[in-house]
Amino acid sequence: MSTDAAKAPMSAADSDRKLGFYLTLPAQILVLFIALFPLLMQLYISLTDWSPLTGRGWWDAWAFWNTFGNYVELTVDARWWGALWRTVLVMLICVPAEFLLGLALATLFIDNFRGKRVFYSIILMPMMVVPAVAGYMFFMLFQSGGPINNIASALSGQNVAIAWLSNPNLAFVAVVVADIWQWTPLMFLILLAGLVGVPDDQLKAATLLGANWWQRFTTIMLPRMKGIIVIAVAIRLIENFKIFDTLYIMTAGGPGVATETISVYIYKLTTNDLAWGYVAAIALVILISLSIVLGIAISRQARAGEGAA
Amino acid sequence: MSSIHLKALTKSFGNFEAIKQMDLMVRDGEFLALLGPSGCGKSTTMNIIAGMEAPSTGRVFFDERDVSDVPMTRRGVGFVFQNYAIFTHMNVRANLAYGLRMRGVGPAEIDRRVAAIAEFLQLTPFLDQPSAKLSVNILQRLAIGRSAIVEPAIFLLDEPLSNVDAAFRAVMRTELKHLQRQFKQTMVYVTHDQLEAMTMADRIAVMDHGVLQQVGTPLEVYNNPANIFVARFIGSPGMNLVPATLVERDGALLADLGAAGASRPLEAGLAAAARAAGAREVWFGFRPEGVNLAADGQGLAVTITFLERIGSRTIVHFDAAGTAGKAVFENDVPLAAGTVAQLVPADALVRLFDRQSGLAIGGA
Repeated sequence: MSTDAAKAPMSAADSDRKLGFYLTLPAQILVLFIALFPLLMQLYISLTDWSPLTGRGWWDAWAFWNTFGNYVELTVDARWWGALWRTVLVMLICVPAEFLLGLALATLFIDNFRGKRVFYSIILMPMMVVPAVAGYMFFMLFQSGGPINNIASALSGQNVAIAWLSNPNLAFVAVVVADIWQWTPLMFLILLAGLVGVPDDQLKAATLLGANWWQRFTTIMLPRMKGIIVIAVAIRLIENFKIFDTLYIMTAGGPGVATETISVYIYKLTTNDLAWGYVAAIALVILISLSIVLGIAISRQARAGEGAA
Repeated sequence: MSSIHLKALTKSFGNFEAIKQMDLMVRDGEFLALLGPSGCGKSTTMNIIAGMEAPSTGRVFFDERDVSDVPMTRRGVGFVFQNYAIFTHMNVRANLAYGLRMRGVGPAEIDRRVAAIAEFLQLTPFLDQPSAKLSVNILQRLAIGRSAIVEPAIFLLDEPLSNVDAAFRAVMRTELKHLQRQFKQTMVYVTHDQLEAMTMADRIAVMDHGVLQQVGTPLEVYNNPANIFVARFIGSPGMNLVPATLVERDGALLADLGAAGASRPLEAGLAAAARAAGAREVWFGFRPEGVNLAADGQGLAVTITFLERIGSRTIVHFDAAGTAGKAVFENDVPLAAGTVAQLVPADALVRLFDRQSGLAIGGA
């Protein structure tokens, strides 16, 4: 007993924690394996020129070792930079547009009006549509003989036959329109939750102190929604970065590469070129950059959470 | 500063009448408490004064000015919310400056007036602190200061002490009353707590079921309740009401308490009023505080049901021929639950109410 007393005695809490650790160890190993193994495999392949066409298993990829060759190639890959630029452009147009539209709609939905619930359901509907189906819908809408040209013809009185999806600029517009149509509802939903959460008493207090609607909006509602706005925008930025299904069905990245975003480029590299080592390198670069964006958003959110009571 | 005059005010929500035909005059510089149980229409009345809700019919006047159609943004009413509604995303200074900023007052003028009101309310040390974590008495001062800085014509306070623990409430009451004296502001204070109303208000307006029951100074309302609602509601515990029949005997008017006990003589003034009103079936009302023990056959024969020790006093719960009541005694009262006793109310403190209408006979 005297030797035990010299060491720090193990408390009940410590031994409980140890037991807990051992009990959860199998699960922890499993989770680690699920998360870590693909990542390590990806890293390994990204450092090689391996492709399934070589006829060798992925574990033999070291035979095609090229160190950072894929990453170096990526820096001078014009198609990659083009795809990245188009992806960023989509984000820069779609996310602000969805945010402003969603916010405007949400402010309309604070007050009660006749048919509010019907409009609510209608507004949320695009979000429920499977993206592939939405892609098909807009593919049909933007055909030269499609409804959009029909309506334009009817309104202008002339025969309008714009080839939306085969014109590089117009195809880009069409893709952006489809994305805004489908994802404004999500912004609307999140921002409405934020608006509803603004305390009614504070709005009344501001009104009694002489604030008009716009002043209340900028001094009470927006600052109080800061946290939820960061979340909404972060979600849409991440999602928009991965834009694929709707776009691929509408244009398949075409005409040429006019609407080719990162996801489309990766898809083509994977299925057409089977350049899996290169794809692994791109995927890792994207993972890291997205993690940085997400990390910033979460830490800002955490700070905003501390500030508000 | 201005007076408030509510003329023939009504307010309905669908079929529910929140306020039924209300006329109320709040004098310039007066501290009026709007007192009543939950759902009596007191908050609705206050919202109508502030312009948050429009009355169904009737008008609201500030002095001689009809403000019924002035929107709440421009009505110039200071309002202290139940939870103070402090803008927690701003610091104390920004909260105080808010009303001036919304009115487009220049920064130099804002700084000067914020400094002045902060000095007056002893908020200067907190000016640059975030408002989210202030203690509740500072929040109260901040809420008052934020409204007072735009110099409102009147001040409305909506149960500002209801979220405060009992011990601290006494401190806040004193502070609030003190502030009101300094501001010399017309204030309407909504509360369901009669202690707050009694201690702070110049006059109390008692409401129930959307009807204004009585307006008077705290002592008027306590001593001469206008009807049985006010009699029961004001006072802690409220007034005892025992059914009685008035009878003439040997030229004197007596209240025959029937099975509950002996007949009690009435004070001359009260007897005259009762004769004038021709009242017969009445409620015989007396305060729990004005009761003495008596020998057999002289007073109300009661069975003691329960002794409630509240520390300073003992509240004796009794049953008088089927009517429950309470009496307040010193702690050394020689009574025990289950025993029988004779209680005599002090004659001067007896009040009569018509059994049909519930209205006070004489006095009020």
